[in-house]
Amino acid sequence: MILVQGKNLTKRFGGLLAVKDVDFALQSGEILGLIGPNGAGKTTLVNLITGYYTPNAGVILYGKKTISGLKPHAINNLGIARTFQIVRIFHKLTVLDNVRSGLVDRRTRPPWRVALDSLVKNRETQVTGRAGEERAIQLLEFVGLAAYQHELAENLPYAYCKRLEIARALATEPRILLLDEPSAGLNPKEQNDQIAIIKSINGRGITILIIEHVMKVIMDISHRIMVLHYGEKIAEGTPEEIYQNEKVVEAYLGREAGAYD
Amino acid sequence: MNRGPFKLPLIIVGILIVFAFPLIIRDRYFQHLLVLSGIFILLTSSWNLLAGYSGLLNLGHAAFFGIGGYSSALFALKLNLSPWIGLPLGGTAASIFGILLGIPSFRLSGPYLAITTIGFCEILRLVAMNWVSLTRGSLGLYGIPPLTPFRFSTNFSIQFVSEQNAYYVILIFVFLTLILLNRLIHSEFGIGLESIREDELGSQSIGIDTSRYKLTVFMISAFLAGFAGSFYAHYVRFISPEMMALGETFGILTMVMVGGLGTLLGPVVGAVLLTFLSEGLRFLEDFVKIDIRFVIYGGLLIATILFMRNGIVGLFKKVAKPSESNGR
Repeated sequence: MILVQGKNLTKRFGGLLAVKDVDFALQSGEILGLIGPNGAGKTTLVNLITGYYTPNAGVILYGKKTISGLKPHAINNLGIARTFQIVRIFHKLTVLDNVRSGLVDRRTRPPWRVALDSLVKNRETQVTGRAGEERAIQLLEFVGLAAYQHELAENLPYAYCKRLEIARALATEPRILLLDEPSAGLNPKEQNDQIAIIKSINGRGITILIIEHVMKVIMDISHRIMVLHYGEKIAEGTPEEIYQNEKVVEAYLGREAGAYD
Repeated sequence: MNRGPFKLPLIIVGILIVFAFPLIIRDRYFQHLLVLSGIFILLTSSWNLLAGYSGLLNLGHAAFFGIGGYSSALFALKLNLSPWIGLPLGGTAASIFGILLGIPSFRLSGPYLAITTIGFCEILRLVAMNWVSLTRGSLGLYGIPPLTPFRFSTNFSIQFVSEQNAYYVILIFVFLTLILLNRLIHSEFGIGLESIREDELGSQSIGIDTSRYKLTVFMISAFLAGFAGSFYAHYVRFISPEMMALGETFGILTMVMVGGLGTLLGPVVGAVLLTFLSEGLRFLEDFVKIDIRFVIYGGLLIATILFMRNGIVGLFKKVAKPSESNGR
């Protein structure tokens, strides 16, 4: 079943065509890898799906609903969460509060209502109460950060920041998670941890789209891979097919380098 | 917030002391300063909600103070409305202007928003200055009625012309405000505001409608500042466009910075300290012939930024818990 699909997506920045007439489909339950050289339009595509950019042409469907043109928060409320290439965690909040901020159920209440409720409702029934804390700690345990819950996020090492951002995205209870280079800047040990986390997120039934430059990671976890080059889709298929695809080798993988080592 | 075993008794003793203040010190000028401090606590707390918790640097906050004061004063003077109705009406009027200033904050942030807010405040000050038929221009509005007495029966009523009674009224408002703000800040709404301060795009990615959150917090903050302005108008009984001068906003800013930005008690400490300090050193004006208030504010602001970024409250937190230098 197709969860999200894009049709003829085009995004232009001035004279630069960042994404050119791209079609894609995200199947329910899969991990779709998105690779390509720097500037190929991978992050632009994620920004299009999550509402940070509006496409110049084409349409994005979530089920039967058109989501291109919606604001980022509205798209998250529909169940599509994301992380960023350069982490955007809340540095001056504690690790626990970072995750709590994602827990807030905003789908049903406007902000003025949330503010009013906070004045009259018992704190325990809110995410700042006991129940919210427990949910947040569960998510922190899942990514292995429970021990740091009272630390300020700015004190975490970079690899933990990446994981914290994933936990925060999971707090919004998404059906789809878009990961923008979750292993960038991590050492091999940390990359393996990251692979394990991503696999177990997928094991929970969450569909994943992942941008990654680390071939070990992408070949290991992706069910399917899509390759962008100069904003165009040049290939799509299983990791083995992509590995042998002439165009992909030419544009991205390179002839001599073995992708698996 | 940590709830140690001594916290509740401490709070009760604190409340008893502030209630007993005007009974112990009978000096009317001292009591007047206490009332002013109370008004400034409302004002600084409202600004802190914007700048400290939501990261919205509003340098036109005096506009809300002025709108509250002017609308309440005009309602009382022209329509003979009771000041008790004027207080919430002044807050509501400011809140409406809060929406106007909230809208540019959707797209602007940091210094750009700050400049816009200065412009907003200047426009309103000039309107108050030049709409002479309504506001009497730079002469200001005088003869504003004080809070009308509560009449419980023909021979028992509470008047509000004395500083002491005004003090108890503002004290109740201050306590109410702090209790409500404490709830708001430690709620899911408060976490939403703090995440917007930390990273706006990140907040949107977890489903926070940043625009509407900002609008809401502007309305809440403006209401509180407008309320303080109304109270000021009915207490001092004279207002002028100077109420909306840029210097007023910087006074608020200094109080919050010195007390501790982004903390609940910071604005309280800052407002009380600076009100008394600037009045206490007013005798120096005989020697230097300038408005000594701003000299003190400027010096304190620089000292705070250089030596104690988290203000006085931050300093105390550090002493109490050296391992956790900051945090909620």
